[in-house]
Order: sequence, then structure tokens, then C-alpha cells
Amino acid sequence: MADSQLAQALRSLLGADRVLDDPAAREAYSRDATPLFKGLPEVIVTPHSTAEVSEVVKFARRTKTPIIARGAGSNLCAATVPLNGGIVVSMMQMKEILEVSRNEMLAVVQPGVSTQQLDDAVAKEGLMYVPDPGSKTVSTLGGNVATSAGGLRGLKYGTTKNYILGLEAVLGTGEVIRTGGRLVKDVAGYDITRLLIGSEGTLAIFTEITTVLSPRPKASKYGVAYFNNLADASVAVDSIVASGILPATLEFLDNTCIKAVEDFAHLGLDNNAGALLLFGDDGSAESVEKAVTAMADISSSARGVRAVTLAPDVAAADALLYARRCSLPALARLGSMSILEDISVPRPQLSRAAEAIEQIGEKYSLLIGTFGHAGDGNLHPTIVINKDDADEVARAERSLSDIFNLALDLGGTITGEHGVGSAKLPYLRQKLGDVSLALHRNIKSVFDPDGILNPGRVGS
Amino acid sequence: MNDDRAPGKFTQSKLDRCISCGYCLPACPTYQLTGEEQSSPRGRITLMRALQDGRLPFSDEGAQEQASFCLGCRACEPVCPAGVEYGVLIEEWRDITWRGTKRPLIIKALFQMVRAPWRVRVMSALSPIAANRKSRSDVHLALGCFERRLFPQVSKAVAQLAPEVAIDSSQGCCGALHAHNGDLEGGKELAKQLGEKLPGTILSTAGGCAAHLSSVLGSERVKEFSQWWQVLNRPLSPIMKNGRPIRIGLQDSCHLRNGMGVFKEPRKILQQLGEYIEVPNAQGCCGAAGSYSLLRSRDSKRVIAPKVVAIKELNLDYLVSVNPGCTRQLKTALRKARVKTKVLHIAELIALAP
Repeated sequence: MADSQLAQALRSLLGADRVLDDPAAREAYSRDATPLFKGLPEVIVTPHSTAEVSEVVKFARRTKTPIIARGAGSNLCAATVPLNGGIVVSMMQMKEILEVSRNEMLAVVQPGVSTQQLDDAVAKEGLMYVPDPGSKTVSTLGGNVATSAGGLRGLKYGTTKNYILGLEAVLGTGEVIRTGGRLVKDVAGYDITRLLIGSEGTLAIFTEITTVLSPRPKASKYGVAYFNNLADASVAVDSIVASGILPATLEFLDNTCIKAVEDFAHLGLDNNAGALLLFGDDGSAESVEKAVTAMADISSSARGVRAVTLAPDVAAADALLYARRCSLPALARLGSMSILEDISVPRPQLSRAAEAIEQIGEKYSLLIGTFGHAGDGNLHPTIVINKDDADEVARAERSLSDIFNLALDLGGTITGEHGVGSAKLPYLRQKLGDVSLALHRNIKSVFDPDGILNPGRVGS
Repeated sequence: MNDDRAPGKFTQSKLDRCISCGYCLPACPTYQLTGEEQSSPRGRITLMRALQDGRLPFSDEGAQEQASFCLGCRACEPVCPAGVEYGVLIEEWRDITWRGTKRPLIIKALFQMVRAPWRVRVMSALSPIAANRKSRSDVHLALGCFERRLFPQVSKAVAQLAPEVAIDSSQGCCGALHAHNGDLEGGKELAKQLGEKLPGTILSTAGGCAAHLSSVLGSERVKEFSQWWQVLNRPLSPIMKNGRPIRIGLQDSCHLRNGMGVFKEPRKILQQLGEYIEVPNAQGCCGAAGSYSLLRSRDSKRVIAPKVVAIKELNLDYLVSVNPGCTRQLKTALRKARVKTKVLHIAELIALAP
């Protein structure tokens, strides 16, 4: 169907105010937060209800048009770039928090609600929406569920997949299903909810999400330890967890990141240290004090430690957390393009992974800054390059393959929390194997018989 | 003009800085209105890149609409982790698209009104501003063109509060109007002229003018009034009404806050003058945005609508502004909504203190 025809048909189906197809709008929706990926959609629709989403999917099925559901477009794996054209379904008009139930400890929201918006709303009830992806101020619940977003407290609290009770979703046929519900226990049938979490828009489009809430912790405390290198910091992390402490925060940065962050934010970090370990916990004042003191003690006697200090107040703690959160943008200032990776390895392999990444940087003469969630083994090696230097771009691409191989060799994965999207798709076979890939394809064909939902990605 | 800016182009290094993370989306008032990517800062930068690379012509209607729809409030800058100078980019965009005959008629008319110092004087001929006076100090008051016409009492309040400030009504426009509406060179030139006319420290009662002057002349030479007053540390007593301290709120000036980083200073002053109540989203644009309220009156009203509702609920005696455009916008909107809260410039409120 020709472009203008497509838009025309959608306008008569949904109303003119739900459809965008001017060149500027198409350009704006041609990207997400992933560098190097771009594709123009033919048309963007902005449904206001489940019924409208269903109408669009049925239409796409009739016309065999690709359909890409999109929230805030903050994902880092090119999961929402319309590489095959088609219809972008922006979920940003469905942004109501439908219910917050204190006695059931749950919330029911539409997919366009942002993570921060939900957490702020439930904070008024003394509750917390736990998953906190780095992009929480902008990322939507729909996008969180579609990528099973992680964050800074994965070790103690888990990730998005641990906080979703139920979903309403539109299948590739246009049919609407409800999975799970409000129950903590419910084993009637397959766990379709869990299957849809992390499905990156390839199986269904979420239209309503029921989330678990937790009591808001009363206290939190943070400290920082400097080490000679990431490997030493990793060993300390291992000792901390092995001692029986399960803290909310165990994050680290390498020297490249420390220097970049310090240049950018002037927080008084030790520029000469090879690694910075940020540790912290939340809970009751008493338990927090105990955990943080113990972590400081363990770090103090760990190999390669340089200094350990506790944040004296909230402002100092916030500064430390900020240092961690601004690692990526601070690194990004060092070049015109930065490629952020997201491998995850079993925690005992963390020090080997950190050392090997450094070697890969040397092998390809690339500037790689590494930061990550040390507590759960999730590393974000970030390659900073000049996008106009074709040779450097090529070397960066080759180094990626080394980084993924490294993760798999250590029993890890190619993506811990960002998703596969288009960016990691070429490496998926290596991770999953042929049998699993075939199973993925078969599952997709059941949910989406015509292959219209986010085609060319997982399961296609 | 920047070193790496070719004629009719954006500064490439400034475009490159954006990593498309989208952290700016929640801060953007126009994105809040539409929920559409092209009316977000990130979306607009994607458009600028398409214009820069020739994938979209500068004449593209949708792109032009976005250049115009943007308030230019720069709320996206403090939340940007990558340090994108969006304010500069949007000014470059308008500089390119509104060049020559393409500038909106209202803007052309405004440019004419302030083209020379004598025109500024004629415009405000009937407004009784503070009298000219010399001073041994090196602090000179910048008289905002539209402030002296619309709110002459502001300069009078400053004259009363600070006898050390010199006042010279023969000065011209600072050029903020030009810089924000597609005449970057003109804006810079006027700021330099004002810098020569007023030696030493330039004191401005308009956040928008202060931020522009500061960007051209440097932050050492230019102080906004609340910023300057706060440093003086003069004791203030609460203003009483019906036996209780007055209830005061504040509307930030976007360019003062996002451009100059000044927002704690006015709050500190107001906390001494009565019961200070933080207006929800005080940092968010009121929709005045300089000439925006004239150019896009309907959108300007959509932006301020939720603010009026919030202010009404607070039952404030005074809502304080630090920029004349905001004062006008707030006065008009509150009057229409029959909200009794009075809108004043911060200098006027300080002048009321016992």
C-alpha cells in the first residue's frame, strides 16, 4: 500500500488526530536512543485506548504492514527503530495511572506512564515501585516490560520481571488477552505474563500493566571504596556477597569513567584510582548501618584497596549515586559517538571479564570506559569513538564481537538488561543455539501469525 | 559566530553532543502538551540533523512548525546529562529559517520598535520610570524595553531600594528579542552596544535580558536583580496582612534559571518576606516565553492553563515574577480566571517590606 494511502486509511479508521505522516514527524520517529540505527516509518499512530490499538493491529494484519510499538524511545538496543518502515504505534497517549492499591500492594497503569511518575505516585502512599532503570525519569512502564528493564538494585531486588503481576495485551491477530492478574499465587496455565516480559514488541502490544509495589525503605546509606583496578574491586564485591550481605547497591566505575565523571561533575573523586566501588543499602536504619559498616570493613582489607569512606549525609550519598548515573553521558563527551554494551557474567567471573575488556581496548586501540552493576555481574563497557573516522568505527564493530565472545565464554550473556533489539540480533544465535532460536520463531508465529509485530527482531 | 558553524548551518559539534537518550522529554512543556516526539528537544535535534544533512529542506512545513512551536525555555538544558546547548541550537535554527523576509510580522514590528535607543524612549514616553541619576558605584540599571513601557514601577522600586544604582534612560535594547527570534548577529551587537553604554556591573530586573547579556558580556559583568540583592545581605522583615505574614509564591524565569542557574536567590529573599510556598512546577515555563505569547497565543494559553489551576489552589497573596514577560502573562491569566493573587516583580515586593 502506498504511503499516503496507508495514512489515509488509518485516518478514516481512527480519526485524523491519531495519525501523523508528515516528513518531520516521520524523521523524528526514525530513531531511538541507540546510535547507528535509523529507519523512517511510513506513518505514526497515537492510540488512546486498547480498542484503538486492536484496530490498528487488525488493520496492519489485513495490509501486511510492520507495526512497531514505542514508548519513550529510550531503549539502547534499537528495539523501536522502524528499519522496515511501517507503522509506529506511540503509546504515549495512554499514560494514566488507573489504580494504586495499598492493601493489595499493587498498581494498575497504562503503558505510557513513566517509571518515575509511577514511583512518585506510590511514594505518597509510603510505597515504592522497585525497578529503577538508569532512564527512569523518561522510560515508560510499557518499555520497561518490553525489555524487562533492570537498574541499579538488581542484586537485592531483581528486575522488572519480578514486579509484574498481570498484563492486558493485543496479539498480532488484534485479539485482546489478559494474563495473570492481581494474584500473588496463580498457576492456572502457562505463565504467559513472564513470556511476554522482555518480548520487545514481537509477541504483543501491552495496553495495561499490573505491577507489584513494595514498602518504601525508611533509611539508606552509601559509601565508596577506591581500588587499583576493576579486577580488585570485583574481588571485593565477591567477598561482600559471600559474607552473607545482599546490599541494594554495588556499582563500579573504571579509571576512564572516574576521570570523565570528575571532569564533568567535579565531585572530588580520586582521579588516580583504577576503580571506584559504590556500595550502599536500604531498609531499617539499624540494618542499613550494619550492612554498610560491614561492606566498608570488607573493602578496607581487600586486595588492592586505596581508600574507603562513608557518605556523611544524603547530599554526599546523592553525589555518589549521581557519579554512577552520569557515567555514560560523561564518557560520551569524550567523542562524537559512544557505543554502550551490556554484557552480564556470573559474578565470580567479573574480575576476569574486566581484565579482558581492557585487553580488547588495547588490541583494537580503542578508548573503552567500563562501568556497571558489579553486584549482579552486569557490565557496561562503553566504546567512545569519532563517528567520522571510518577505520575507528570498523575497529569498534570488530571489538564488539570479541566482547560478546568473552561474555559467552565466561558463561554470561550478550545483554543483561538493555535487550536484543536490532543491535544484538547478529549475536543471538551464538547465545541461544539453533533449537532455542527455532522455538522462538515458533512461539512468535503463534502470537503473531502474519509476522507484523516488530518484524526482523527476536523470533523473526 | 562559532568557528565550526558554516553559513546557513548549525554548529556541528553542538548537534553531535546529543546522544538521543531522551532525558529531556519530561522537562519539555511542548512535549507535555502533545506527547509527540517531534515536539520534544530530542525530536527537534533529530530534525536539525536532518536539515543539516539535507534529508529535510529548511522550508519543510513540519520542521518550521517545530522551530516555532518551541518556547525556547531551555528547561531541557539542566536535565541534559550530555550538556547539549539546546538554547543555542534553537536560536541558530530560527536564525537560519527566519532570515530576511521569512520572519513573522509581529517580530519585525517588535524589532522596529526597539531598533534605536530613541525609539525605545518614545515607546515608553508615557510610562513614568525612575529618574536618571549618576552614581559613584559602578552598578548600572538595565531598563528592559518592554518592562519600562509596561511596568515602569519596577525601576522605581529598584531606585528606592538601592540608591547606589545609576540610571540612564538613554540606553537601548539588550538584543535578547533579536537573539531569540532569529537575528543572532543583531542580538550580539546590541548587547555589546549596551555593554559599552553601561560600564561596570549591569543590573537587570528581567531574567531574559540578564541571561542574554550574560551570554555575550560574561557572567562577571551582568547580574540579575535577585542575584545581586541576595549578595548584599540586607535584613528584611516579613510583610504582614491581617496579622499574619503574607503567603508568597514564585514563578521562575526560564532563562534566568536554565541559562544562568539563578533560582535559589529569589527564594531566599522571599522566605524572609513572608510565608514562602513553592508553586508546583514553578520552574516550568509560564508560556510567555518573550514574544511567544504574541506569536502563538493559543499555545501560550495551553501552557499556562495547569499553572493557573495550581496557583488558585494555593491561595497566595502574592505571586512573584523575575521577568516582565512572565509578569504580564501571569497577570492576564490570573485575572481571567478570577484568581485574587497579585502578581509583582520581586523588587516591588521588597519595596513593600516594613
